[in-house]
Amino acid sequence: MNTAAIPTNELVRFAKFFLQELKPRGKWLTPFNVISIPVILVGLVILYFRFTLGLGAVTNLSQQYPFGFWIGFDVMTGVALAGGAYVLCFVVYVLRIEKYHSILKVTILNGLLAYIFYSGALLLDLGRPWHIINPIIGNSFGYNSVLFLVAWHFLLYTGALFLEFSPTIAEWAHWEKLRKFLTSMTLGTVIVGITLSMLHQSGIGAMFLMAKPKIHPLWYSEYIPLLYFVSSIFGGLAMVIFEGTMSSKIFSNLIGQKTHHSHNDIILGLAKGAAITMFVYYFFLAFIFMHGEKWTLINTSWGYWYLVEVIGFVLVPCFMFAYGVRNKRFGVIKTAAIMTVLGVILNRQNVCLIAYNWYVVDKYYPSWQELTVTLMVVFVEIWVFRWIVTRMSVFSKE
Amino acid sequence: MEYYSYINIFETKGLAYLLLLSFLVLGVLLIRYLSGPERKDAARKRESDSTNSYEGF
Amino acid sequence: MATATVAAGGVPNLNIKADTAIPPKEFVGVLVDTTRCIGCRSCEVACSEAQSNFVPDTKNDNALEKIRDTSEKQYTIVNRFETEKGPVFVKKNCLHCWQPACAAACLVNAMLKTKEGPVTWDGDKCMGCRFCMISCPFDIPKFEYSGWNPRIMKCTMCYERLQEGKKPACVEACPTDTLMFGQKRELMEIARHRVYSHPDKYVHHIYGENEVGGTGWLYLSSVPFDQIGFRTDLGTIPYPEYTREFLISIPLIEFGVPAFLLALNMLTDRKDEVREEDGWTETGADK
Repeated sequence: MNTAAIPTNELVRFAKFFLQELKPRGKWLTPFNVISIPVILVGLVILYFRFTLGLGAVTNLSQQYPFGFWIGFDVMTGVALAGGAYVLCFVVYVLRIEKYHSILKVTILNGLLAYIFYSGALLLDLGRPWHIINPIIGNSFGYNSVLFLVAWHFLLYTGALFLEFSPTIAEWAHWEKLRKFLTSMTLGTVIVGITLSMLHQSGIGAMFLMAKPKIHPLWYSEYIPLLYFVSSIFGGLAMVIFEGTMSSKIFSNLIGQKTHHSHNDIILGLAKGAAITMFVYYFFLAFIFMHGEKWTLINTSWGYWYLVEVIGFVLVPCFMFAYGVRNKRFGVIKTAAIMTVLGVILNRQNVCLIAYNWYVVDKYYPSWQELTVTLMVVFVEIWVFRWIVTRMSVFSKE
Repeated sequence: MEYYSYINIFETKGLAYLLLLSFLVLGVLLIRYLSGPERKDAARKRESDSTNSYEGF
Repeated sequence: MATATVAAGGVPNLNIKADTAIPPKEFVGVLVDTTRCIGCRSCEVACSEAQSNFVPDTKNDNALEKIRDTSEKQYTIVNRFETEKGPVFVKKNCLHCWQPACAAACLVNAMLKTKEGPVTWDGDKCMGCRFCMISCPFDIPKFEYSGWNPRIMKCTMCYERLQEGKKPACVEACPTDTLMFGQKRELMEIARHRVYSHPDKYVHHIYGENEVGGTGWLYLSSVPFDQIGFRTDLGTIPYPEYTREFLISIPLIEFGVPAFLLALNMLTDRKDEVREEDGWTETGADK
């Protein structure tokens, strides 16, 4: 299966094929292109200034807020919401619930791209990104660091996701033998991938364990790794519902009839899973609140803000999911999914930015440049996603 | 800062168990709610067209 | 009978970490007696000159008028706090923790606790992730946000000077003996002696003795420490301990979980019950 075994003419064929596939298809002047192309261009200009003049030139980062929107949203939230990939892999490959097989490939693709782009966005935020190779090649292993663990898990899990998705690539490139080999790797990769996911999702939470004196006590607890892991499960599920709804509208011509019909059934199952996970998560929060004896903190403005997150974006969508499942109200489920996604975003922003250094007067707000670059990352990801799904058989054709 | 007196580190344990109990009870109710009417539908459906009950895909 | 003999002679020493004949090098630190500080800011100037940082104009800049923080330009600053016992001047810089959170947070060992005691930073390793800034309970590491090749700026206790046998620049510059350089063990003795022999002059607390597990820099004060800009809510647990259990449990989880997942996968195998045309597919097989 190594490249040396593949004859050169095969490589030439693939190169020609790839160049041909690279050409754009379909209309150019779609609303998405009209919006995204200018944003991407502006983002590139901003990034030029970021790499020549420094982070301070384009971001509102300060000594009090070393982590800004690029870390708090792109990396922290992006990774949490990509949790759908490992949850679905668990459901389909480990529990063998075949109902969800038809959306598996697209979820893995979404997860893979999220990891490449959102943890790739980390490169923009690093002060000395050319040293990112240091913890990997081993001239300085800081294995005492949670971030070391997270970095390695990111890397390994992105590799695992790529392996899980690679049969589709091999199929697209007409490499039948390679596809068979890669397919045989799937179960092992999936099992390793789920394990890696559990640990880096919680690892991102563990990054804040040492920030104990800086995070508002309502958001800090020693259980924060567990909370991050559990919220990545329902955040990931909600994102699968959301993305599934979007792509079944946008790419409806690519999706087979049978899959289209079973889509509602799939959404009901995912919503049920999300409802139960959120119910458990809510009790985790209640327990941690009680265990930390944080009663007096609730009747402050921070307490109200905490209640907005916990009641408004955890408990309410949990009930909405349950109601939607029982009464088959798909509108309610989709609204709940959006609220859940917003809730996970809110939680990560709270821990990382809003309730971080909560006593500081000069609060951090993302600059317009930071928002534009974030939007650029999202748009580029959608471009790549669109390129792949229109060329490879990602959606189930049945 | 430096004083010697008794601190009960298991003070919240009783409340935690109450919370756990309510979680278990509410959990049973939630699972019943989530799988409630669907089962009746499925049962009725199974009776009406027993030949086509399983829709594999 | 044998057990009785053992009990009489004490429990046998099962210290599995080999006892080294030579005792490990003890950490050095600085004792800061804030009752002696006159706020001349010679230490600020000496520090910046030794480290080639921004040298403040101490005569004219009126910097004591407001409470400042160390910055990417200055490793150390002196603040004036108005208290019930008159103005108190406090020098602020890295405390060189015994178990530094910043060094535990660094994934490339750029932030390093040297065996002599100072916490240093290595620009050839640092990737600028700023996780040390998140982790430091004293908010000491500062980042150069301007410039394409930013550095993490923090006091290094003049590590190069220490290796030449000299004292840190600020200690040498201090005209009033506010700063005293030495081994932490000795400094603790001196600090305790001062507190015990002048109980009306000092509060009965040595900041840095136990804070965050103990720091290299120790502070004495005439007023409670929360009145002169110190955080007293940091606890006495070394900060790396907060991540210790998580980091240690990782291999355990990663050994166990795959086996559990594989077992689930095998248990849910219904190959013999459900035929392929009924919707059964082998794991990994394409639809």
